[in-house]
Amino acid sequence: MSDTQWQIFEVFHQQVRGEPHVYVGSVHAPDPEAALILAKEQYGRRQASVSLWVVPEDAITATSYEDVDMFDHGTDKSYRESFGYETTKRIKSIVADRTESRGEA
Amino acid sequence: MVRVSPTRGGQPGLRGDKPGDPGYEENLAAFESRVSRGDKVEPGDWMPDAYRQQLIRLIHVHANSEICGALPEGGWIPNAPSLKRKLALIAKVQDEVGHAQLLYRAAETLGKSREEMIEELISGKAKYSNVFHYHAETWADVATISWLIDAGAIVNQTMMAEGSYGPYARALKRICYEEAFHLTHGYDMCITLATGTKLQHDMLQDAVNRWWKPIMMFHGPGDKVSRHTDLLMRWRVKMKTNDEQRQQFLKQYMPKIYQLGLTVPDEWEMRFDEVEGVWRYREPDWDEFLHVVRGNGPASALRLRTRKMAHEDGAWVRRALQSAAGQSAVGESVAGAG
Amino acid sequence: MSTGTTFSAAGDIQGEERSALIDLLYRLGDDDLMIGHRNSEWTGLAPILEADIAFSSMAQDEIGRALSYYRMLHALGEPDPDTIAFTRAAAAYRCASLASLDRSDWAFSTVRQYFYDVATTRRLALMADSSYTPLSQFVRKVGGEQKYHMMHSRMWVVRLGKGTDESRLLMQQAVEKAYPHALGMFEATEWDAVIAGSGIGPCEADVEASWVEEVAEHLSASGLAVPTNVEPTYGGRCGRHPEELGCLLEEMQKVYKLEPSAPW
Repeated sequence: MSDTQWQIFEVFHQQVRGEPHVYVGSVHAPDPEAALILAKEQYGRRQASVSLWVVPEDAITATSYEDVDMFDHGTDKSYRESFGYETTKRIKSIVADRTESRGEA
Repeated sequence: MVRVSPTRGGQPGLRGDKPGDPGYEENLAAFESRVSRGDKVEPGDWMPDAYRQQLIRLIHVHANSEICGALPEGGWIPNAPSLKRKLALIAKVQDEVGHAQLLYRAAETLGKSREEMIEELISGKAKYSNVFHYHAETWADVATISWLIDAGAIVNQTMMAEGSYGPYARALKRICYEEAFHLTHGYDMCITLATGTKLQHDMLQDAVNRWWKPIMMFHGPGDKVSRHTDLLMRWRVKMKTNDEQRQQFLKQYMPKIYQLGLTVPDEWEMRFDEVEGVWRYREPDWDEFLHVVRGNGPASALRLRTRKMAHEDGAWVRRALQSAAGQSAVGESVAGAG
Repeated sequence: MSTGTTFSAAGDIQGEERSALIDLLYRLGDDDLMIGHRNSEWTGLAPILEADIAFSSMAQDEIGRALSYYRMLHALGEPDPDTIAFTRAAAAYRCASLASLDRSDWAFSTVRQYFYDVATTRRLALMADSSYTPLSQFVRKVGGEQKYHMMHSRMWVVRLGKGTDESRLLMQQAVEKAYPHALGMFEATEWDAVIAGSGIGPCEADVEASWVEEVAEHLSASGLAVPTNVEPTYGGRCGRHPEELGCLLEEMQKVYKLEPSAPW
């Protein structure tokens, strides 16, 4: 049997409850449970932790950086953002108009 | 990790990555423009083969240096003269093993397996830092290594953490954080020895005397001797020349060395040039440096023998866990009682 | 059995209870120091990087605990922790032989660590309500760390026990070698009855009984045979040690003794 360094697991770490799990690095381990036990000391020995995840590296499917342009927006998408609207400006103008017309009366 | 690119065939990142390949010049221009903007290069990106090979070599040597660096200091763990020093030294050497783990992984993302890299280390094919080719002869050597060599390493690694390759830069950020503890602990040890009894002070001075040559060589051959520097700096594989790093180290640490009442050997003719604001010194013998890093230092044979033995002694363990992983339900017995 | 008295600080405990407590703390501290020292010898040399890092943490935890027990001793009028750790002759140490034996190979080191972790877990559980408040407070603080020790060492025993024929054989040999020394951890001292009677800690027979049961179960689940009719290796608790301890101490005290009165 060839001398392996075991398979790779990617490690995700949560510092406090309520925060997301964040990718911190990898360990070589023979199986998921051993990966957790070994990752605990490589990634949790200084940082505060409440939870660790390990995921076999080959279970991850990723986009290619060559296709990074697919994240670009070809058309104006401001309609789905709050900055795409001018409600404050509009309401100010309405209030101003009203005040003005009351003054005229 | 599987990278999906439905629009193009072949393995992403590897196409046309050598001069003369179709599309090379165009890809290179885009790559260099990204790097010069300060953007990071990530695994799976197109990169020139020369960039990939240089980085693999560089990170591999760095990883080897961490794992070989664990040996001279690790050897003194059983002799550490107080419980606090013992704990700190174990933690420091543990960090070095941890750094090797992070660095081998960063190199793996460029396409070379850890098996291969460890194999090349123990067969003597791959290099590691010049300083670990020397023996740590006394406890004061441990203090000197931990203070001055780690200081030199921090100069190098802080700079490299700004480099262009994402996984290496990420690993280095964490490494620098941990090295800061090593440096402080090393400084603390040196302060204790320097201000201790005559025996302790002399022991430290002797260590500094013996380590000064390897320390002066640590950042590598001077800029007149070193090749490839321009290209590596353009690709942000390297951010400062060897001489620039050495100057930075000397500016920061020579005053601290003198402050502790220590000296460095006269033969180096160290003096601060007030006009130019740089340290002057006798140029190290770079032929000797190359001779040492090629495996001919006083401790080179011992280092490789120790690493080889540790690797071979552990083979049955790696095999057994590989085999156990193939069997089902092996994990159920771990979490249970206790 | 306990008298119900609580000793909230070093000044509150006198007479034979004080002597019994000192005896217990030396055993706890010396065990942790020696096994920690042995485990630390793996730092940089373990079978794989990830295992190296984790095992080194075991060593740090153990030496850190030794330091804590020695601090408790110092509060009781014994010398300072470094003097306790670095200046005694072999016969003055109270560690079980299991803790001081050479690190040998990975099979022996992991089996020893497993045996030690089970004993420590059981002992800590039985000391969580110790009548000596500084001890009960400390024990509760390290409970979580010890839980990880247990997961870690159980993992190694079952993975190597169920690994290959080669690993099973090496593990079985390690079990046979370590088992008598492990039973030696439960050698009762003259203070055993006072310790249990005053509620400072458990009597050794109780720790041993629960140890034997748990170890048998996990060894079997790991495909390893449980040794039977084993003669325990006693002596450590009264200062009779294997030769290995002498060598260990020589190494450990080497630098300290260059300038015993100076800080390092």
